[in-house]
Amino acid sequence: MNTEQAKEILLLYRGSIDDGVPQFHEALAHARGDPELAQWLREQISCYNAIRSKLLEPDPPTDLSERIIRHRPIPFRRDWTQILKIAAAVILSASITSVGFRLSERKKHSIAQGQEILVKGEVLDMTCYIAYNLSGPEHAKCARICIRNGLPVGIRSKDGKIYLLTGKPGHSVNAELADYAAKIVTIRGKETMRDGFAQLQVEEIRKF
Amino acid sequence: MSPDLEFEKLVNLYYRDLYRFGLSLTASDADAADLTQETFYIWANKGHQLKNPGTVKGWLFTTLHREFLKTCRHRKRLADEPIEEGAMSLPDAASDCVNRIDSQTLLHLLREIDEDFRAPLVLYYLEDLSYKEIADVLAIPLGTVQSRIARAKIQLLRRLTETDRPQMQRK
Repeated sequence: MNTEQAKEILLLYRGSIDDGVPQFHEALAHARGDPELAQWLREQISCYNAIRSKLLEPDPPTDLSERIIRHRPIPFRRDWTQILKIAAAVILSASITSVGFRLSERKKHSIAQGQEILVKGEVLDMTCYIAYNLSGPEHAKCARICIRNGLPVGIRSKDGKIYLLTGKPGHSVNAELADYAAKIVTIRGKETMRDGFAQLQVEEIRKF
Repeated sequence: MSPDLEFEKLVNLYYRDLYRFGLSLTASDADAADLTQETFYIWANKGHQLKNPGTVKGWLFTTLHREFLKTCRHRKRLADEPIEEGAMSLPDAASDCVNRIDSQTLLHLLREIDEDFRAPLVLYYLEDLSYKEIADVLAIPLGTVQSRIARAKIQLLRRLTETDRPQMQRK
């Protein structure tokens, strides 16, 4: 190995950190017997240290670590045991809800298929009754007009229960009931209930 | 130790080293801070996948370098272009030159070196990593790492002496 070859190898030599690297051993041995090469090597190491020091000078912004920690995302770690547990819980919960819903629907359905009943009471213009509490003979004329015009019509039984009166699907009973506005009648029909609201599908109107 | 404390400990242990690595690659405070922050962000999301805790430091440097390369994609790749004739001749030692310049000038000189050569050179100077560890961080063969460091070092020393010459002439 001549001096130039040793220099090419020792160009990467950083000092004690590289002492264990076999590729430098022969070149270092050569430098020990060559004063000129040894001087060149000292300069190289000195230059390495000077550049390293310069590169280590800049400090990061004072708030950088705080920013990093503050903006840390919440990781979603895929723990499959946990995922399976959650999935099982979701399926169980969905099953219970489904069964509950079906039972509830069955209950509602039984009400929807309600018995035929007779209700005796005053025919109401529901809009005026609910909005303004207007009913009775004093309001008969207005109620007749409203019912004839298609506004909702109802009946208030003696016990105070209110039913919305409807015809069969697609058929209005307003024309038949308008003449009975504010009068006492008996209506035979099928009772249905939805969300606490009673409806009576009119089969027959009897003037009482 | 809770995951939050582990994360904080890791940040406090490595954010300075990563910032300086980023700064040496980009020569920009803001870019270096962004790269450091992005690296820990990725760690928070994916770090748990790392099997060997002993390789955390290498993983962080690899990630920062990868993020840096993403920002360089649009630039013309010069890595495989041959260095001009005579450029491989060894320069004189330049420790005096280095002592006369400030760190900002040094960072700008580093910035002039192609990024594929710059990263191994910066790791060579900044971190007490072996050549094998540098090769692992950058995911390139050991021989390539040594070759790139040698060529990049010659380029840097040459630029240093060229930069220093006008200053010497003024004196």
